[in-house]
Amino acid sequence: MSLALTGIGVTSGIAMGRVHRLTPGELALPEYHLEADAVNTEIKRIRQAAQRGERFLGEVMARVSGRGSETARDLLEAHRLMLRDPMLIEATCERIDEQRINAEWALAQQSEQLQEEFRRLDDEYLALRREDLEQAVGLVQRELADQPTTELDSRIPHHLDHTILIASELGPAELTVLSQRRVAGLVTEHGAPYSHSAILARSLEIPMVVGVHHALELLQEGEEVIIDGHYGSVLADVDDNLRRHYAEKLDSTLRHRNDLKRYLGRPSLTADRQPFCVYGNAELPLEFKRCLDARVDGIGLMRTEYMFLDEDLPDEQDQYRAYSTAVRTMEGRMVTIRTLDAGGDKLPAALELTRGPNPALGLRGLRLSLSISDAFRNQLRAILRASTLGPVRILLPMLTSVAEIHQARQIIAECREQLRNEGLQIDPALPVGGMIETPAAALDIEHMAPELDFLAIGTNDLTQYVLAVDRQDELVSHIYDPTHRGILELIARIVEAGRRHEREVTVCGELAGDAQAVRMLLGLGVNHFSLPPAQVGAVKKSLIECSSRRCRELVESYRTGNGLLHGHDLLAALAEDR
Amino acid sequence: MTRRPLQLTNRLGLHARAASKLVQTASGFDCQAWLEYNGRRVNARSIMGVLLLAAPCGSELVLETSGAQDEEAADAIAELVERRFGEDQ
Repeated sequence: MSLALTGIGVTSGIAMGRVHRLTPGELALPEYHLEADAVNTEIKRIRQAAQRGERFLGEVMARVSGRGSETARDLLEAHRLMLRDPMLIEATCERIDEQRINAEWALAQQSEQLQEEFRRLDDEYLALRREDLEQAVGLVQRELADQPTTELDSRIPHHLDHTILIASELGPAELTVLSQRRVAGLVTEHGAPYSHSAILARSLEIPMVVGVHHALELLQEGEEVIIDGHYGSVLADVDDNLRRHYAEKLDSTLRHRNDLKRYLGRPSLTADRQPFCVYGNAELPLEFKRCLDARVDGIGLMRTEYMFLDEDLPDEQDQYRAYSTAVRTMEGRMVTIRTLDAGGDKLPAALELTRGPNPALGLRGLRLSLSISDAFRNQLRAILRASTLGPVRILLPMLTSVAEIHQARQIIAECREQLRNEGLQIDPALPVGGMIETPAAALDIEHMAPELDFLAIGTNDLTQYVLAVDRQDELVSHIYDPTHRGILELIARIVEAGRRHEREVTVCGELAGDAQAVRMLLGLGVNHFSLPPAQVGAVKKSLIECSSRRCRELVESYRTGNGLLHGHDLLAALAEDR
Repeated sequence: MTRRPLQLTNRLGLHARAASKLVQTASGFDCQAWLEYNGRRVNARSIMGVLLLAAPCGSELVLETSGAQDEEAADAIAELVERRFGEDQ
C-alpha cells in the first residue's frame, strides 16, 4: 500500500529519487530585551547578517547562466535591493536601539510593519513585492539564526542527481543553487503555482510539486519517492509495481522522444514525395534554441505578448533586444514576428483599458494596436531594426478588413521612412502577412490575399468564431470541433486563394501541432505548418509517413459527406495511412 | 540643503522600474535625499519607501537633499524625473 500526498504540480514532469529533507532546523526567532551595552553588538550583528545575505545573492547571481537565468537574475536583484533598503535594515537597527530588543525580534517587527503598509495599498503588483520582502527577510533571519542559506553548501550534498528535495518553502536563490546541483525534483509544503519560485522551476524545467502539507513530517530521509507533476502527487512507500509503472513511463517518454528525434533531420517530404515546411513557434530565447535543435525551417510565429505583461510597456530598445536575439539565434532562417495580439481577457495592465462587454469581440489584436499607435510604432520600429540582422517577416493578428491592412501598412511605411532618415536602410519588400482567424477575413480572402505577402491561419480563434463557441466555457466546450465541415470549408477557401495569388499559407493554431490533424490539413492542401518545437518530431513523422494523395481523398470524402460522416472518423481513417 | 518641487509626467508614475531608477540615482551621491508626497515623507534611497508613496502620473512631489553633494543629487534626480525615467511615452 503506497502513500500518496497531493499538492499542486508546477511542472508536468515526473521525477524519481530518494528524499532529502531540507529542514529549516526550526528557524529560531527568539525575542528578548538587551542590556544597554549590548545594543551596539546587536546592531552590528544584523548589519553583518544583511551584508552576508547580499553577498550570497551576488554570488548566486554571478553563477546563474543558461536556462531561466534572466528570470532568476531579476528576482535575485529585487531581493538585493530590499536588503540594501534603509527601511528594512536601518529601521530595524533603530528598533534595536530604541526598544533595546534583539535583532530577530526587531526585524520581525519591522517586516510586519512593512507588510502591513504594502497590504494597505491593495495593489496587485505590490503584493508580489511583499513576497520578495518576505524572502529577503527570511534570508537575513536565517543568517541571524546561524543557519544561513549560504550554508546550503554544507547542509546538502553537492550532487543531487536522483534526489528529491523536500522543503518547507524555497526562495528563488535556493532554487537556483539546487538546480545547479542537478536536483531531480522538488516538493514544498507551502507555495503557490504562480509564485516566483514556481515560475523559476518551470523555466528551469525541474519537476516540482508545491503545497504538499506536512511533507517534511510524512516523508523520511532517504526513502524512495516519485513525484508526478502532472497530477501534483508525491508517492511514497513505492512498491515494485509502482516503480515499474513509473520507470516505464519515464523510459517510454525518453524513448519516444529519442525515436521522434530521428525524424528531425529527415527531408520534409511525404511518402508520395510532396514537399512540406515546418516552422517553429517561439517567444523566449530558450525556445528559439529548441526550434533550432528541432531543425525547423524558420519561426512561423513569434508571439510578443509576454513583453507587454509588465506594469510598464516595453520600450523600443527592450523589444529590439528580444527580436534581435531571436533573429541572431535562428542563424539566417526566417523569423515571423507577430505584432501584439493582446485583448480579450489579457489586456496589458499598462494600458489601463477597461474590458469591453464581450472581450472576444472587443478591442484586440491589430484593432488594439491601431488604437495605441505610439506603442504600435515602437514595436514596428524595433522589428524593422531587427530585420537588418537577418530575414524577418511581420505578421498582423486578427484582421477583419482590407482597410485595416492598408492602415497598418501605412504605419509600417512611415516607420521605415523615419528609420531611413535616421540612417538605417530597411528592405521595402519586407513581407507583411496577416492572421486569417475571423470568419470575415476567411470569407473575403479573395480581396485580402493580394494585400498581404503571406497568410497565416489561426485555427483556434477561427474555430471559436465560426462555431460561436468559447472553449473555456465548460457548458459548450464539447461543441468546439476544429474538424467541423464549416472550418474545413474556410481553410480550403484560404488555401485556394493563396494558390491563386501565390501567397504562402501557414497554419499556426493548435491543429498544426497535432500529429493526426496535420494530415487533415495536408489533405486540404496546406503544406506549411508552424508548431511548438516539442511537437516537431511527431508531426514530421506523421507527414513523412503519409501519402498526400490519400489524405486528399479522405478529406474529400468527408467534405462531400459521401463516406466519412464525422470528424473523428476522418481523423481515424487518416491515422491508418502509413 | 536643497528643496525643490518635482512633477511626475511619466505615464505610470512611481511604479517599480521608475522607483528603482530613482533609488539607484539617489544612492549614487554623498548626501541624504527625501521625497514628500501626500503628507508622507520617505527616504529616496529606499526602494520600499518610494514604492509605498504610490505616486501616480501628475503628482507634485517635493525633493529634499542635504549633504556634501546635495545640489548634484537634486539635479540628477530632477533630470531623471524630467526625462520621464527614460520611459518611452
